[in-house]
Amino acid sequence: MGSPTPVRAEEAVYLSLLRQPAHMFLTTPPKRLAFLGRPGDLFVVLLVNMLLTFITLGLYYPWAKARRLSWYYEHTELDGHPFHFHGTGNEMFKGFIKAIGLLLLIYGTYIVGVLMEEVKLVVIGVLVMFVGLLLFIPLIIHGSLRYRSSRSSWRGIHFGYRGQLKELYRICLRDGLLTLITVGIYGSWLTIHLRNYTVGHLRYGSTSFRYKGDGAAFFLLNLKGYLLTVFTLGIYGFWWQRDLFNYYVNNLSWEHPDGKRIQFRSTATGGGFFSLMLVNVLIVVFTLGIGFAWAEVRTMRFVLEHIALDGDADLNAVVQTEQEHKNAMADDLGDLLDIGVFI
Amino acid sequence: MERTVQAIYYDGATSKPQEATVRVREMNTLEVELPDGGCFQWPLEHKGMEWERSSAMLRLSFGDHPRRVLLIRDEPFIQSFVLRMRYAGRQGVYDRALAVARSGPVLFFLGVVALLICSYLWFLPWAAERLALLVPRTLDERIGEAAFDQMALGLPIDSARTVSLQAFGDAMELSPSFEPTYHVVKDDQVNAFALPGGHIVVFTGILDRMASADELAALLAHEATHVEERHSTRMLARSMAGYLFLSLLIGDVNAVVAMVADNANALRNLGYGRGLETEADRIGQEQLLKNGVDPMAMVGLLELLEREAEDMPEALAFLSSHPLTQERIAAARTRARELGTPQAPNDRLEVLFRPLIAAQPTEAMPSSAN
Repeated sequence: MGSPTPVRAEEAVYLSLLRQPAHMFLTTPPKRLAFLGRPGDLFVVLLVNMLLTFITLGLYYPWAKARRLSWYYEHTELDGHPFHFHGTGNEMFKGFIKAIGLLLLIYGTYIVGVLMEEVKLVVIGVLVMFVGLLLFIPLIIHGSLRYRSSRSSWRGIHFGYRGQLKELYRICLRDGLLTLITVGIYGSWLTIHLRNYTVGHLRYGSTSFRYKGDGAAFFLLNLKGYLLTVFTLGIYGFWWQRDLFNYYVNNLSWEHPDGKRIQFRSTATGGGFFSLMLVNVLIVVFTLGIGFAWAEVRTMRFVLEHIALDGDADLNAVVQTEQEHKNAMADDLGDLLDIGVFI
Repeated sequence: MERTVQAIYYDGATSKPQEATVRVREMNTLEVELPDGGCFQWPLEHKGMEWERSSAMLRLSFGDHPRRVLLIRDEPFIQSFVLRMRYAGRQGVYDRALAVARSGPVLFFLGVVALLICSYLWFLPWAAERLALLVPRTLDERIGEAAFDQMALGLPIDSARTVSLQAFGDAMELSPSFEPTYHVVKDDQVNAFALPGGHIVVFTGILDRMASADELAALLAHEATHVEERHSTRMLARSMAGYLFLSLLIGDVNAVVAMVADNANALRNLGYGRGLETEADRIGQEQLLKNGVDPMAMVGLLELLEREAEDMPEALAFLSSHPLTQERIAAARTRARELGTPQAPNDRLEVLFRPLIAAQPTEAMPSSAN
């Protein structure tokens, strides 16, 4: 460990379990998610990343990103076993270059138009940019899910995504258009349809996942959350956040081929979200951002410790099935355009 | 490393973890024994063997996809393993940096902060300016032209005095790489400014307060230096590099830090502007001497600005360059003494100056000069 940072009580329990001989640490609470990363360690990792990124004038970014993700995976455990992120800086760097090339292609007409002071070219360029970026969204979701899932494993078994890009385009175009027509109201349905589809095609070896959300229920949840937040001058916002979290977790299940399933269940409360967010803001503000790692670890712990897994499926019986997918272009493109994939 | 440790083994075929016993053989091979009696060996030097050390465990993996994996949580074993791999040259730059950082996080943090501050204050402006000077001068002209075209619509140009000022300016050689275009604008501000590429705008407010042709020559020399030395382009490069630097650092951290950082950048640029003003004074004085004007004229010009600044309201005075002007005056005086007086005074300037002051001075709002 080497780091002399003082350890908190619950950390001490986890860490003492981990320091037992190997056969002991298999007996940590069954079917629980836990986050064991320590903020001081994350701080050091981020600092080294920052230093190397800075010295290389930003070129190190893909490697830094791989290291950061790796740290989060390594310290997230299910049933006493850590997750692992297989993505490498080299893969992400290649993806990064491809993504920049693609963006240049899309921005190209516009840039040439501006340089040549051709109004027609500029107009065409803006149109190409607009349409191009819109068409990228399903591509980014699809590619990013394929990459991230393929590069994630638990107990040596890889995750995977088997969704069809065509189907994703269909959902995005249809629901996107309806969202436009209904001035955003249909957005709730769009989100849920995307979630149902993408989560429904996630795999973990021979097992799969299922999300059974309902657009109307999700819309009402948001409507209620919005109105109450306005009426309570923002205070209900934390309970709205809890409702969103609950809706995500409680509709998620893990399907095993023998017909057994594990149902995810949220144990988060509005008060919990309130103290989490309030303290995080205080930490970040009063340390001028230096305490970012501490806020980040608190969030990870909160989220993972408030997801319970119910069911008697055998976690030892999963068989390796998924192929490797090493193309990180879509993931990096999402990064460049600041589009979050995990809906 | 001559010892036996317990490990978790994932075979890559199923999710069933196995408890394995790991032994090191002859310093270069791991012998793995499984509970079902299975046994295999992993050569440490093999290319297909990868290792990763996180804060609480060592992860070894071997072979093609799906890889077989060993997890070891025995700290003494991990430490001797890492040491062995370091001697074998199989520890990367990142892992070494991380090991150093983990052994003394506070010291490492302070070191990084010091490095960042130094490069932000000194290295970055230097590098940004080097880069800015690589930008072709025609770009300065295009930017200046575009800016002037936009501004010219709203500026009340004094065409008669503009012609006279152009003649006055043309009587000197102030900017070797650009052709300065002079404009007189009817405005009571005691001010003048230069755009990149060569447009120099002088307000009637300052013109009317000029006591001599030499002072006007000093003003033009100062402004022409801003153009010649490409101060706008350099300043733009510095400020852009500043933002780039900060966004690079902060990356995806958060808005609060970004806000602090933004203000830090603005403060730094204020100091930067002063540095350039002094440079414009200095090179301007050298230009004056070359053009047959006493460099002491710059002192007269600065004193004129200082007098006008004294009448400024308290709040504005705080932001202005008031104590700074004193510094600039003192520096300009010393420099003028060092430079001496021109051997052949430029007599034409006095003649060309007369039509410029023909108009009566008007009551003007005092203000500072650029």
